Amino acid sequence: MNRDRMPPLALVLTLVGAAAMVAPLVWTVLLSLKSNAELLQDTGAAFRGPYTLENYGAILKGDMVFRWLLNSLIVSLGTTAGVLALSSLAGFAFARLDFPFRRTLFVFVLLGLAIPEQAVILPQHRLFAWLGLHNSYPGLILPGLVGSFGVFFMTQYFRGLPRDLDEAAALDGASTFQIFARVLLPLTVPAQATLGVFTFLGSWNAYWWPLISATTSDRFTLTVGLASAQANYAQTNGLGYLMAQAVFASLPILIVYVLFQRQIVNAIGGAVK
Amino acid sequence: MNSLELINVRKAYGKTPVLDDISLALEPREFVAFLGPSGSGKSTLLRIIAGLETADAGEVRLDGRRIDQLPPGDRGVAMVFQHYALYPHMTVRGNMAFGLKNAHVPPAEIAARVAEAARILEIEAHLDKRPGQLSGGQRQRVAIGRAIVKHPRLFLLDEPLSNLDAALRMRTRLELADLRQRVDAAFVMVTHDQAEAMTLADRIVVMNDRRIQQVGAPMEIYLRPANSFVARFVGSPAMNLLPVEPVANGALVRVRLGDGAEVETRVALNGFGGGTLELGLRPENVEVTAPGGGTTDAKVELVERLGERTLVYAKLRSGDEITGEDEGNSRVRVGDVVGLRIKGERAHLFDAQGVGHHAEAGA
Amino acid sequence: MRTARWQGLAYVAPFLILYAALLIFPLLMGMGLSFYRADLFGAKVWTGLGNYGRLLSDPVFLHALRNTFKLVLLIVPTLTALTLALAVALNRRTRGAAVLRGVFFSSSVLSVTIVTLIWRFVLTPDAGLFAEVAQALGREPLPWLSHPDLTIPALALTTIWWSIGLPMMLFLAGLQQIPSDMYEAAALDRSSRWTTFRRITLPQLRRTLLLVVMLQTAAQLQLFGQAQLLTAGGPSGASRPVVLFIFEVAFVRWELGYALAAAEILFTLVLLATLAQYWAARPREDAR
Repeated sequence: MNRDRMPPLALVLTLVGAAAMVAPLVWTVLLSLKSNAELLQDTGAAFRGPYTLENYGAILKGDMVFRWLLNSLIVSLGTTAGVLALSSLAGFAFARLDFPFRRTLFVFVLLGLAIPEQAVILPQHRLFAWLGLHNSYPGLILPGLVGSFGVFFMTQYFRGLPRDLDEAAALDGASTFQIFARVLLPLTVPAQATLGVFTFLGSWNAYWWPLISATTSDRFTLTVGLASAQANYAQTNGLGYLMAQAVFASLPILIVYVLFQRQIVNAIGGAVK
Repeated sequence: MNSLELINVRKAYGKTPVLDDISLALEPREFVAFLGPSGSGKSTLLRIIAGLETADAGEVRLDGRRIDQLPPGDRGVAMVFQHYALYPHMTVRGNMAFGLKNAHVPPAEIAARVAEAARILEIEAHLDKRPGQLSGGQRQRVAIGRAIVKHPRLFLLDEPLSNLDAALRMRTRLELADLRQRVDAAFVMVTHDQAEAMTLADRIVVMNDRRIQQVGAPMEIYLRPANSFVARFVGSPAMNLLPVEPVANGALVRVRLGDGAEVETRVALNGFGGGTLELGLRPENVEVTAPGGGTTDAKVELVERLGERTLVYAKLRSGDEITGEDEGNSRVRVGDVVGLRIKGERAHLFDAQGVGHHAEAGA
Repeated sequence: MRTARWQGLAYVAPFLILYAALLIFPLLMGMGLSFYRADLFGAKVWTGLGNYGRLLSDPVFLHALRNTFKLVLLIVPTLTALTLALAVALNRRTRGAAVLRGVFFSSSVLSVTIVTLIWRFVLTPDAGLFAEVAQALGREPLPWLSHPDLTIPALALTTIWWSIGLPMMLFLAGLQQIPSDMYEAAALDRSSRWTTFRRITLPQLRRTLLLVVMLQTAAQLQLFGQAQLLTAGGPSGASRPVVLFIFEVAFVRWELGYALAAAEILFTLVLLATLAQYWAARPREDAR
């Protein structure tokens, strides 16, 4: 039996499903390519020409979307860098160093895996109000750094590296920090890539926290900004423009996805083992 | 002055003791092999010398300086790991230079030392490759090179040949022998392969069951094993150990085998506390002859033809198993009854405590 | 190794301090405040279990709870069956299968805002894609976003479209781990496709299946953004899930303590769902 050939019925159903996946996306792109005036008459016009890039032109001429894009980039990159640094340090220590309460602390950290966002977000909101951190980049970044998954993931990865290497480095006169930074850390690059991509995706798409923490539009991230735009789209520049914003805002993440598809697939594969 | 010195070293993991009061001293430039089965504590001892583990008690000294309190990098020792432990993300050059950089050796000096080691080990062409691009033998050389450049006072080799195929192992063995001629340092090698230990080491430290069983030159260990463990562990095939009864009728011990045959040894009688005895015979001292032509007869169970000689595994009438030797073109077959001529003058006796007693020197 | 024993703490401290201060402390603070009548600005009065008692007799909360259960029951089984079928269909080494995997996963990288923006103009009866299709077929467009019986299915549909990628990938990874000689043996035993799937694939995927159901249940119990953005919970609460209830109580009515009590109840439900599935996934004697 050739397992690479699909039975015809399955093939048809899969293609129908794929079409259903793609149709809303195509529809969005078509709408974004129509003039707002024409869409106001009849959205069905999206299936016919003439198409225009005027909505994209309008975005490029100056729009809050740029500001939101920049905010999203700063917050997502900041969160990713923070998670990688904190998780690597802690993962190395949990995997390799002997210190008081190590096991207890690790279990304590694992508890975090079971804590959903909604259980902590309201008190966090109040805490950040006390600290005066709302509407700031630290305010948007910090809650993204406390997830346990990164520490757990990096601990497992460090555990998988051969201990010989630490010992060889110790005989080479390396300090504990040098063993971490010079010998083991460079070997965790695949794990860093996986964790980094997932953290970036998660942070880029975060909605609830930026929604309640960033309340002035110059601190909006892309997700929150687009939410505010769609809530009152009647008052904005029209449907075509709104859809152009959506397409424009999706581009960075789609690029990340295409570039890092392999890491994403590998990481999900690792979760099943 | 001694090179490496171990004084009353003890180590336990939790309540499980792994090393029990180990003391040992190496001559300058001496090559010593720790030989023993797995779990004998030999690797732990090596790791304590390296500083990768801490002894619970005792001292480690190198060239008179106490080193057991120092971090591994400050001890003046270099180690070649069983699985090489090369840094995968560094080039060969980077691997060799890493330790020197950490020790703040001037760059020109580092370059010179790396070049010299690369020349000795013939890996100059690979200096800018990464370990992943090298063959097993080449990696082994880099691992040795990484040790050489440090100019250590003591080389620690952890099963250095176990990952190599037979041909490469032979070659690396010669290279190690060559290396020790070149460098002014002592060597400690951990191995479970007695051929390795016999060919490379000045002295062998046989370890078993947390303790040193015997320390001696290779032939001394072979010819005068201190106890029945050493007798069985060193030598291939293993020494025959047969339960015997003493028939005391002279200054030298005469013993009776299980089947009634008697063997005249050259072991002096004094010093036995009584109890059971075991007769130790290397297979080369049990010669296969025609039935009735030797000390006793036995039935052949297995024949191993090695080319230049033939090993004959046989059973005495008493059921005791015994291994003898015949010439290369032996006609002996399984099931045959053969005679065995036992060279009593080469026999060893082991008392109830397992302590070995040997033929009088010059007797 | 010969390092100071306390040194390791320095490596874990940066994370642990943030973790304790920004996750564990808020968690405990939230549990504590759920026993108070507290507003968003700091005033608080002890009410003991008052908030919890009020919730259990609050028709708005109970409606939200029912909505959440409906969403979970609509989404989780559908999504699980759909993604399992997709994974089996796409577990092939061909180029076409790889492209299709990419297509089905692509929606997962979009943010909830973009997903709802897209689906708003698929579903809305005056300008949506569905309306265009309905008109082309000569039918009346359905009021997906405003009819009380249609809003929850609309949310479920959007969520399934958005979430299809991850469980599919998990199943694919699970399928990859089934040794191919099992299939070869089955083929030699003249096992039909369906028998092979039921007797080999499914039992081998048991762990993955439980993982998917667990992750999805936990995720959909906390469904929020889609409801807030697409239907605003309406009409008149017909599609308001618990998390939207919590959000509105906290940020529209400013009743922090009350919102927190609802959050703790939901937290308990999420934990129970997780534990139930760990229990189901425990190694069993008869599994081998």
